[in-house]
Amino acid sequence: MLNWGNFVSQLFNGLVSGALLALISAGLTIVYGTLGVLNLAHGALFMLGGYAGFVAFQATGSFPIAVVVGALFVAIVGILIERVIVRYFYSRPEEDQILVTFGIGIVIVEIVRYFFGSLSQTVQAPTVVSPIINLGFVIYPEYRLVAFAIVVVALAALYLLLYRTRIGMVVRAGIEDSQMVDMLGINVQRIFMAVFGIGAMAAGFAGIINAPIISITPNVGDDILIQCFVVVVIGGVGSFAGAIVGGLIAGEIMSLTSMFNPQLSQVMLYAVMTLVLIARPQGLFGTR
Amino acid sequence: MTAPRRGLPYLAEIIVALVLIASPFVLPSIGGTPDTLSRILIWGLFGLGFDLIFGFTGLLSFGQSVFYGSGGFIASYLLVSHTIPNVFLALVIGLIGAALIGLVVGVLALRRSGIYFAMITVAFGEMFFFLENSVLYPFTGGENGLPNVPKPSLGWPGFQISFADPWAMYGLLAVIFLIGFIIARRIVASPFGHVLTAIRDNPMRARAVGHDIQRYKLTVFVIAAAYAGLAGGLEGTLQGYMSPEAFTFDTSGQLVMQTVIGGAGTLLGPLVGGALWLYLRNELQSALSLGAAWKLVLGLVFVILIMFLRRGIVGGVADLWHLVRPTRAPTAVAVSAAPAEAQVTAHRPPPHSEKIAIETRGLGKRYGGIVANENVDFVVHEGEIRGLIGPNGAGKSTFFKMLTGEIAPTTGQVFMAGEETTGLDVTAVCQRGVAKSYQINQLFSKLTVRRNLMISALSRARGSYKPDMLRNVDRLAELNADIDETMRLLNLTARADVPVSQLAYGEKRRLEIGLALGTDPKILLLDEPLAGMSPQERADTVQLIKHLAVGRTVVVVEHDMDALFGMADRVTVLAQGRVLTEGTPAEVQNSAAVQDAYLGGVHA
Amino acid sequence: MSDTENPRAGISRRAMLLGTAGAAAGAMLPLALPSWALADDPALGTFPAGQAGDSVFVGIDMPLTGTYAAAGADEQKGIELAIEHLNNGDDLIKAISTKTTKGVLGKKVVSGAADEAAKPDLAVQNATKFIQDNKASVLIGSVSSGTAVALNHFAQDQKVIYLPGISGSNDTTGKDCTRYSFRACFYAYMASAAVGPVLLDKLGKTRKAAYLTPDYTYGHTVFDSMTKFTEAGGWTTVTNQLFPLGATDYSAYALNIANSGADTLVVIGFGNDAVNSIKQAKQFGLLDKMTLVVPYMSPYLVQQVGQDLMAGVYAGLDFYWDIGDKFPLAKQFVDKFEAKYGYKPEWGAEAGYMQIALWADAVETAGTFYPPKVIAAYESGKKYADSLVGPVEWRAADHQLIRPVIVVQGKKASDMKSKDDYYSVVEIVPGDKLLPDPTAFGCNLGSPT
Repeated sequence: MLNWGNFVSQLFNGLVSGALLALISAGLTIVYGTLGVLNLAHGALFMLGGYAGFVAFQATGSFPIAVVVGALFVAIVGILIERVIVRYFYSRPEEDQILVTFGIGIVIVEIVRYFFGSLSQTVQAPTVVSPIINLGFVIYPEYRLVAFAIVVVALAALYLLLYRTRIGMVVRAGIEDSQMVDMLGINVQRIFMAVFGIGAMAAGFAGIINAPIISITPNVGDDILIQCFVVVVIGGVGSFAGAIVGGLIAGEIMSLTSMFNPQLSQVMLYAVMTLVLIARPQGLFGTR
Repeated sequence: MTAPRRGLPYLAEIIVALVLIASPFVLPSIGGTPDTLSRILIWGLFGLGFDLIFGFTGLLSFGQSVFYGSGGFIASYLLVSHTIPNVFLALVIGLIGAALIGLVVGVLALRRSGIYFAMITVAFGEMFFFLENSVLYPFTGGENGLPNVPKPSLGWPGFQISFADPWAMYGLLAVIFLIGFIIARRIVASPFGHVLTAIRDNPMRARAVGHDIQRYKLTVFVIAAAYAGLAGGLEGTLQGYMSPEAFTFDTSGQLVMQTVIGGAGTLLGPLVGGALWLYLRNELQSALSLGAAWKLVLGLVFVILIMFLRRGIVGGVADLWHLVRPTRAPTAVAVSAAPAEAQVTAHRPPPHSEKIAIETRGLGKRYGGIVANENVDFVVHEGEIRGLIGPNGAGKSTFFKMLTGEIAPTTGQVFMAGEETTGLDVTAVCQRGVAKSYQINQLFSKLTVRRNLMISALSRARGSYKPDMLRNVDRLAELNADIDETMRLLNLTARADVPVSQLAYGEKRRLEIGLALGTDPKILLLDEPLAGMSPQERADTVQLIKHLAVGRTVVVVEHDMDALFGMADRVTVLAQGRVLTEGTPAEVQNSAAVQDAYLGGVHA
Repeated sequence: MSDTENPRAGISRRAMLLGTAGAAAGAMLPLALPSWALADDPALGTFPAGQAGDSVFVGIDMPLTGTYAAAGADEQKGIELAIEHLNNGDDLIKAISTKTTKGVLGKKVVSGAADEAAKPDLAVQNATKFIQDNKASVLIGSVSSGTAVALNHFAQDQKVIYLPGISGSNDTTGKDCTRYSFRACFYAYMASAAVGPVLLDKLGKTRKAAYLTPDYTYGHTVFDSMTKFTEAGGWTTVTNQLFPLGATDYSAYALNIANSGADTLVVIGFGNDAVNSIKQAKQFGLLDKMTLVVPYMSPYLVQQVGQDLMAGVYAGLDFYWDIGDKFPLAKQFVDKFEAKYGYKPEWGAEAGYMQIALWADAVETAGTFYPPKVIAAYESGKKYADSLVGPVEWRAADHQLIRPVIVVQGKKASDMKSKDDYYSVVEIVPGDKLLPDPTAFGCNLGSPT
């Protein structure tokens, strides 16, 4: 009764879409863990990466350049946001931080809409990638596989950065106790700026990588942001491992639910989130 | 709204009523149609509830659309399906329905606070939007909404007043808003409302002085849901159509933005913000032909306001008003700590009591492999002043936290006044007559001295939770007399209406003790009360403590040995998580073991 | 005696007046009475205040921001072109509204537009403003059926005629039909009735169809209508993948469809949903093994999706610029539109133009702006010899225009003779066979007064 072929392909698909969600959520959770700021503009940064890459692609016709431009542009925007605005909110109540990033998110979306209009834009996948590949158990767009591989590499790079470098150690120390890091004479300001930039870059990078798969519109980041929330609640706020596991779980939930009842595939995410909140409010990897 | 109200009572209500009456005559000349004004009132009503949870309690919810939509669709469905013919009755049922949903959502969402809470409300908002659009669409009409919602009418057969006329509808909405406003004002002025401001300011301390903050939060959350549900129902009947937009994240987001722009914590902020938003949207679109860019402009306004004018428009106006008005609060510099009577009482009668006030048996706390406290047996008799000393890392703070219930012990038991309190949380322990003052000030920093003390007094007078939302706190004579007395004891009477941020450090420390004192505890725990004080302040505070100790049991943790030995009857020494020794101050002073512990083994 | 002249009129005066006088007038006023038997037509809606001066106002309620903004802008242009033609007495509009000289009943036509962003409550808000501030004589515009339905009921309530532009749901002339609204464009049932037989003819009778359906009433109505027609002809519906409105990632649904054994893919989404559905269907190889059908095609689809993906696709349209050789008025319209705006109109523009032209004709025929008489003119059963899509007539029972549906097939990029030559016209199906029974979708027209 269960279509095994379909089941396997959905399982695989959930992995792929989950990985992308994991990357975006990792950016969100790193920023929250280190700076204590929940960046509600994160979805807008995802969208911005797509558009920046789109502009670069229009200008150069090269997808790799588009990716680099997309990621770097958003990283710079992220650093600017931290320097000019967010920096002044560390000592203010949490709610103020949420509000200002919420406002920044809206401003970014509306600026993009002002310049690009509301119609969707397309970024072509690099032609070196063939459109479809037959993996045996599933026929899958090759570009999605490539994107999956890129995302996995990006996550690995992020992991190495956080857990194997000195900077990463300082960032993780900052997550634990930023006052102490400051007292040790380390320039916390620069670290915070870098972290915000890295978090933003993760979102922007994901945005341009994803652009050939879905068409981009100014509001494409809205849903992503909410899905990130769900991932982060399931995985545990501030936890890198939690973002990855949470992202994969979320991707699988959406894919597998669609097999039985496509209508409910998104709602099921929220149902699982509610369950996690009841049973283990700190999330799978979070600390109370 | 933290300054005490002087002048006409109900001044704000009267002004609002006058503005509402005048609007139909004044505003049409600048483009205010009855439809626009009605919509502003509905947003204002929606915002009254939101301001109660956000402006006053500090709960930032991005999911109020859940209740707005639920109340709206329940009322509209009942009317459209002719199940309930009377619009007012349907609105009330919608309100109740929204409140019940608020109860369920609140129980789940309030398990977390701060950012988590905000995220959860977003997700609930999305969930309800999906449910209403797909699964429930036979009732909600899906993306088409519910048309043909009737207008309200009043009367009896033979005489009917219908509100189909746009200005009549405005009048009805103005009356409903005014009633909603008056109720919200009463809630804010009530004891319940004051506890809410404490929760916003310092939830940890609010719990520690004996308030069950979860129940308060849930109650105000349900109230906000009720306001939202009524507003949603009113939108349905105003438009003659209930729109699925009510459930979108945009609606929740717009409410938040309008409230912040108008000014959170002012009750009128959402109304002003809504007026500005609707007005600007019309003007920016038509007059300036900005078209789609109106939202960009409003977004920029929002960000700038949060950065520079955090209290929003109404808050900013209020601040300006206070700046301009001559200040009444005396600017006297810090006054000495010594209370009047204490100067007379040089010493207190030594304790005679046989009754045990505090007892711990084998109390211990482990954090994984780290032992913070181990096997602590501790007995204090009623009326005693007990000193607690020990080198850094001895486990004093952890021990104190187990006494107050802030931390649950891993082993052992705690008894307060004969009753076991092991594992009870801090609110319950406080209600049993135990209170602690903190080493680092944990004051309600946005409130005045009087309001700070009121928070403690309220928990003593009303227990851990009481939904007394319609009483006026200024009318509780006995309560206010008690607060006056406490201030007199602490010599803070002259600074009663000064906000905490303007107090000198010594005054803050006294207030810190005062918060604990205000709960009228039988057992008073003082964590380094003299920290950071000048010698004179120390002497005064010691006198104060001795005075306070009359009729109470006091345990004091201190590093200032001279001061401590001068006031304690007995002293307990902790080292490495265990009790090292215990005795009179003289015994402890001369104990070699104690010297070893402090100095590391070198002694004569 | 309108309430806006005396804003502080008591609570019930207008209501009571409308209620009693209106009911009395309505009861005493069978519309066939000769004009001498009447005194002045009583005030109703924005009549006669909206026509007191020398101009009448058309309220254009359109999505100018959001996902439907492009279609909305195009539709607005069609409407504004029609208004310009009315004011100038252009031949094109006079070919449809034969009594038109200049303006409508001698009054100049002015218009204003407001953005509803596809949100029904904004649409109602804008419309309220048009009525209260501008005394609009007629309201027009929509891209999403949600707003059209909301305005249908609003118009009935306010007694001002409303003309939806693009509205695909059966409900707009079904259970949400009202006496005060008239729909000229095609919709789910008509599209399915036209496209279905073409598919049965061209693709055979034993196809297995997979549906990719947006989960809201428009989507459901198209699904219901399409399956009705295709299954009657012998097709099997193997799966219906319902996705939430506005979804961006269709991978899960595409995989389900890929594994379903279907050989035909029916994409029901509108706007961005259609664009994403089709692009991702291509990515998952669905278009290589299935024929794509878009029964109700939104404007600007091929421009966003690309000609390659649309090659060979069967689709239903309200209008296509290349039907000029069959309908000379269509050619005139396309030429005049392109001359003014610099591009060939999408079908929203045609829908808007038609609605204005037909409205002008109804008012001229009625000889007054008094709504019940204008409505009677609409319902009179008049046959229009020609229009932008050939002969049309209004069906009184549900206020739907009986008009053809254009079934097209996407051309291969190599076959395109110009940059706009997206489709070849397969069949122009006449409207009289395409309408459901008037009561099939629960239409119950309200009262004119």
